[in-house]
Amino acid sequence: MLKSLIERLQHGDRLALARLLTLASRGERLEEMSAALPQTSAGSRVVAITGSGGVGKSTLVGKLIELIRAHGQTVAVLACDPQSPLTGGALLGDRFRMPDRTDDDGVFIRSLAAPSGHGAIADHLDVMVRLLDRFGFGVILIETVGAGQGDTVIRDLADVLVLLVQPEMGDDLQWEKAGLPEVADVVVVHKADLPSSELVEAQVRSMLALSKDSHIPVLRVSARTSQGLEQLWETIAGIPSRRVLHNDDGAGLLQAAHAVLADWFAAAKADRLPELQQLLSQWQHGRLNQAEAASALVQLLQREYGAPHEKPGVH
Amino acid sequence: MARKPSTRVVLAKVGLDGHDRGIKIVARALRDAGMEVIYAGLWQTPEAVVRTVADEDADWLGLSLLSGAHLTLVPRVLQLLRDAGLEHVGVLVGGIIPEADIPKLLEIGVARVFGPGTALDEIVGFLRERHGATHA
Repeated sequence: MLKSLIERLQHGDRLALARLLTLASRGERLEEMSAALPQTSAGSRVVAITGSGGVGKSTLVGKLIELIRAHGQTVAVLACDPQSPLTGGALLGDRFRMPDRTDDDGVFIRSLAAPSGHGAIADHLDVMVRLLDRFGFGVILIETVGAGQGDTVIRDLADVLVLLVQPEMGDDLQWEKAGLPEVADVVVVHKADLPSSELVEAQVRSMLALSKDSHIPVLRVSARTSQGLEQLWETIAGIPSRRVLHNDDGAGLLQAAHAVLADWFAAAKADRLPELQQLLSQWQHGRLNQAEAASALVQLLQREYGAPHEKPGVH
Repeated sequence: MARKPSTRVVLAKVGLDGHDRGIKIVARALRDAGMEVIYAGLWQTPEAVVRTVADEDADWLGLSLLSGAHLTLVPRVLQLLRDAGLEHVGVLVGGIIPEADIPKLLEIGVARVFGPGTALDEIVGFLRERHGATHA
């Protein structure tokens, strides 16, 4: 049955996609699904939208759907709402705020219940993203339950993480607590039609500057007036993908490993690590061949910078 | 880790009818009974409701009508569900439905009609009983 569902998915059958998403959300037959899905990504761009409740995530996603369609791309939405820790029930009301595009096969919206304490997103979202990618959606929007520590979980899943804040959330100290602007790729001051949005933009900018994150774009956007929407989408489109492509053959992971090693190597150079100088000198003088030296380098960097003895300045 | 599958219910109002107090109370009751409720909201077309049921892979569709248009809109929804290959989805109707129309709705495939004064437990009980039978 699973095999035929995946075959149907590849032929663009929405009902098969819907059923596979249900199976994935319930954690059923995940391994089989992973094995049966095509290995290579169809190249979807995954954009996560996070922010506190009431900040306008669903409304903005609704506007983005229209914009993405106007740009000629297809779009799928995974909209997470909280699941009651007491009853397991959930009232999923996100799609209620999204546009009615009944006749448009280029839009797919799925509401998901996110258990409490799971990082503000539904379980097995990674598998669901893969299903939507293999179905062929150009853009996948993930809407979280709310901002917080869960944003670091979603960060690994998405190419771009957009954090929404709004005016009247509190004084400037609140930015140190509300949301985690430093994990975002773009910060949106939403409801920009409200009078104090310029002040909020300034506060967010100064806070980001304090933590050396001033390169993170801060944009004022209003879903109500559509102010800043085009610019937001342009900004999102211009951000290079951070996500590791989850190729099952491990190519993406290998690429990520290269990046980790490069970080460690840069840190070792900056620290003028004596062991590194020694190793380089041994190699330069031919006392080690290239393979031996490379292997020794990996071991050295792992010993010095790998978990659990993480050093400052390295991530 | 497999999670206990919960019933997924789409609740919607079709047609020109702005009375959503009842459907929101039902949404809350089903949520508190551990179900996943997708609230699609007011002024839905039959086509939009069926699209929602399809994409959300719902087990049940609950329609609320207080407009008097139930004999026009409900058959249309049922037909579109069949056209979309969604005949396995159970359909409930709530709202103001005259006694005389209830058998007509049941005859065309509505699983149950819940009128004013229905206890919330009755709706929950009905879905629980049926869920076990159809989604083993």
